Amino acid sequence: MSEKLFEALIQAVIDGEEEEAEALVRQALEQGVDPLACINEGLMKGIEEVGDLFSNGTYFLPELIQGAGAMKAALEILEPELVGKEQREVVGTVVLGTVAGDQHEIGKTLVGTMLTANGFKVIDIGVDQKADDFVAAIEESGANIVGASALLTTTLLELKRLIDSIAEAGLAEKVKVMIGGAPVTQDFAKEIGADGYADDAIAAVAVARKMVGAAA
Amino acid sequence: MATERHVIEPITTSRQLRFLEEAQLDTLREATLDILENVGVRFDSEKALVIFAEHGANVDRSSQIVKLPRDLVLKAMANVPRRFTLGARDPDLDLPLKEGVTYFTNDGCGHNVVDFETGEQRASALADVAMMARINDYLPSMSFCWTMVSAQDCGATAPLYEMDAAWKNNTKHYQSVTMMGEKLCRYGVEMATALRGSLEEVKRRPPMSLICCTIAPLVQDKDALEGAMVLAEAGIPVVIMSMPTMGTTAPATFAGALALADAEVISGTVLMQLATPGARVFHCILHAWADPRTGGYVGYPLDARTRFAPVEIAHHWGMPSLGGACGTESAEVASWQAAAEVATDPLLVSMASAEIVTGLGLRATYTLLYPEAIILDSDLYNQARYSHLDMEISPETLAVDVSAKVGAGGHFLGEKHTRKYMRDALVRSNCQELDAAGQYRDPVEVAREKVRWILENHHPEPPAPEVQKELDRILAAADKELKG
Ligand code: B1M
Repeated sequence: MSEKLFEALIQAVIDGEEEEAEALVRQALEQGVDPLACINEGLMKGIEEVGDLFSNGTYFLPELIQGAGAMKAALEILEPELVGKEQREVVGTVVLGTVAGDQHEIGKTLVGTMLTANGFKVIDIGVDQKADDFVAAIEESGANIVGASALLTTTLLELKRLIDSIAEAGLAEKVKVMIGGAPVTQDFAKEIGADGYADDAIAAVAVARKMVGAAA
Repeated sequence: MATERHVIEPITTSRQLRFLEEAQLDTLREATLDILENVGVRFDSEKALVIFAEHGANVDRSSQIVKLPRDLVLKAMANVPRRFTLGARDPDLDLPLKEGVTYFTNDGCGHNVVDFETGEQRASALADVAMMARINDYLPSMSFCWTMVSAQDCGATAPLYEMDAAWKNNTKHYQSVTMMGEKLCRYGVEMATALRGSLEEVKRRPPMSLICCTIAPLVQDKDALEGAMVLAEAGIPVVIMSMPTMGTTAPATFAGALALADAEVISGTVLMQLATPGARVFHCILHAWADPRTGGYVGYPLDARTRFAPVEIAHHWGMPSLGGACGTESAEVASWQAAAEVATDPLLVSMASAEIVTGLGLRATYTLLYPEAIILDSDLYNQARYSHLDMEISPETLAVDVSAKVGAGGHFLGEKHTRKYMRDALVRSNCQELDAAGQYRDPVEVAREKVRWILENHHPEPPAPEVQKELDRILAAADKELKG
């Protein structure tokens, strides 16, 4: 019985059918199926398949984003049910956003999608976010990575401010900082003391994996 | 001061190209009105929300979404002036907006520079802004001047220093691409007033204007808009520019992206008109494509049909238009891609009758400056300009008598008529300069020589010392207030 449900869940993620994925996990919970099993046997397998299809060139971004969206929607229903039970395994938890004064959205969102598709839990706090907002989100989520995007030369300094704020909040030991965006360079990252830099979303996954000590 | 050359040569043509039928333009406009009335646009500005509410728009304070009833839009849009003049520092270089004349400028706001002397890539600085303003001043292809790169060494007041550098090195109209926020823009107005002598003169011949970007999809930026409102109130023109990316920040269909972007531009324009009736506003949509695998920003796919439809959309609203040209993706100064992608742009955008056009001289999708690139792009520009020039047909140019004299066989080299006209009959481009042996030279080398020559020989008149003193005082005050 559960097998069939898991297969349907896998397919819903592959097809990027958010409502279908939500309906299936609701049904699973009603039937008393273990929520963690729904995640590991259904959603994760689905997103892995989506990731493979993207890597081999069959899928494009809309399929990837919609697959991740279906997974996320279902997770939102399942995760509260995990309270007190064994938690789902994530490669790492990332607080992600574009810095204050900067409205550029797309690069950051793509980084988030690639991280999600590769097993990270991503908390996307949006664009135009102050250093304090990042810090609050890190504290709330216990994230071990913070990812910040800046596309304007005038907002580059916000990245430095973020690193300072993380240190002031006593989080420097707990969280690694990854930065990116068109004007950001490896040298700049080094100069402001960021732990990592990536020049595109695929590289961002590799950098994040390294940060949490996961295999490349 | 030595000024070797001081003219502008806009593209002038009576030929017109229509990409869209009247009925299609009407349908697009209906879609825009539908989006404005039923979907709404988010205005992240209390000031804007208050103005909209006062004028009967449907304002939701918590979501900041403003929905604009059709009648409100049409009434406000009736106030947008179709034509006005962009003033230059030098009155001879003022730009009266006219039918059949298209004024071009350089591309803007790059952040990397391939240093002219060392060839090394580095971050852009104020000195680069100044250098490019000087080159712009010399080139007749450039009718006005955009902030070409960012002054990254100037901190929060960089946009004011960029304008100051432009005025010190350029006598044409200046359009800022970076001035944002109410405070900064108030200083901008103060500087314009110092340059002109009075606010009345600023209104009459605005020496500057501003690019104000919307945030696709359907969001307006607080700083951009509130700054633009300050300038518009002072009679300074603003360009409301939408940059929808098909697939990521806009529908993946041409019509969908244009309707969405138009709704952004029109919502901003309506606000300007409500705040300052008759505010001078240009309409601009620079649409691009997202790579479906990487999300990368692609400005020049093979299928870019109706590239300049936005110009017609603007005119359909009765607004002047800023068109975009030459924003190649190539990171090389003179690759085949850099020229091929954009080669027809100047021709098409001028035939679409855009009033003003940006885009010459940067590489890597508006991010990378090679000073010599603007010389190469000017070739493409001039190709378009010459294509539109009239051919004179008269007894003198028909020269039937000369042909009769030479008759069948023989040649024309011995004719006085040939002697008179042959020199000017062939105009070579930078790509066709010959060396002493009669071989074509490397165009980049030719461009480099021109850049060097301009920098050594062209020194436009800076503002008068007392004006500069006042500008310096304003800059110092801005630093004090805004650099903190
Ligand atoms: C956490 O770890 C990581 C790791 C990797 C990370 C990362 C984080 N974040 C990104 N990456 C990396 O991975 C991503 C995926 O591969 C990549 O992300 P990217 O974001 O680079 O790539 C995206 C997939 C596609 N790229 C993009 O979407 C950006 C493209 C360009 C053309 C661009 C766009 C589209 C926009 N813009 Co803006 N814009 C430009 C850009 C020029 C350019 N060629 O980059 C740039 C950045 N903008 C610029 C400017 C000036 C501005 N823009 C503005 C506005 C906008 C739009 C809103 C119109 C629009 C954004 C729409 C949106 N909703 O996101 C204004 C600022 C608004 C604000 N407060 O932020 C405004 C100030 C213009 C104005 N006068 O209003 C210039 C910056 C100049 C400078 N000196 O800094 C600019 C270079 C264009 C130009 N030459 O004028 C990598 O960088």
